[in-house]
Amino acid sequence: MIDTAKFKPKTVYVIYIAATAQKVWQALMDPAFSKHYFFGFAVDVEPKRGGCFRLLWPDGRVHVTGEVMDWSPPRRFSCSWRVEGMKDFGELPQCLVTYDIEPSGDAVKLTMTESHSWDIPRDILKGGESGWPKILSGLKSLLETGKPLAVDTKAGPSPEFMAAVKKAVAEKPWLKP
Amino acid sequence: MDAVFKALADASRRELLDRLRADNGQTLNELCACLDMTRQAVSKHLAILEDANLVATVRRGRQKLHYLNPVPIHEIGERWIGKFERGRLKALSDLKKALEEGTGE
Repeated sequence: MIDTAKFKPKTVYVIYIAATAQKVWQALMDPAFSKHYFFGFAVDVEPKRGGCFRLLWPDGRVHVTGEVMDWSPPRRFSCSWRVEGMKDFGELPQCLVTYDIEPSGDAVKLTMTESHSWDIPRDILKGGESGWPKILSGLKSLLETGKPLAVDTKAGPSPEFMAAVKKAVAEKPWLKP
Repeated sequence: MDAVFKALADASRRELLDRLRADNGQTLNELCACLDMTRQAVSKHLAILEDANLVATVRRGRQKLHYLNPVPIHEIGERWIGKFERGRLKALSDLKKALEEGTGE
């Protein structure tokens, strides 16, 4: 188990969804749903604290691995998160992703928090900053209308992002006191 | 959506969002320190931004940290720009098909 106290929220995104908390939870944990809003990735999670969390490519290759820190349906989910499926990225410290689902009138307030244990450079954080709004909006669209949003297939990591990852892996600032 | 536009229609509130964009997760004190606004004004603006869901807050002990939430702005972009992008992409793919089918001439 990682020491979650060492992780500070860096990205906090909130979206309101007209669905029940149970439905939002299911959509977040079920590959049948995640394929439609999470850039085609299938969520594969062992439903318990300490369980294995993975995001899989359509061909079954692993993109993200992690360990479930908090399994409290339908209110709170938290897992460690390490991107294995991208060059160099697996060498960076893992981060923490948390979903908080709270009732809000007839809707549900979903808060996605990405927390890091090190002073992650802005250019690397931008990866999540650009991806998460699309994921959350896609999830909302799917649950509210039954239709996913169009996937932005031309988007890939920016050169600045790749350069920042390479630099961080070379310098390993998280190892310095 | 009205709440988002109303929240953005104020230069001071846009400045607060700019500050969070540059340095996310600030407390009220930290935000007040570099701005030429009274604490009360900053507080009032943050409340409007929170109501519009443009700012999310996280409690850390006794502190309240403020984070920029771009999701509502992304949704607005998706509503108008997204549709135009898809329209343009379809037009390009239609053109491509027409040109490819016409190469037999």
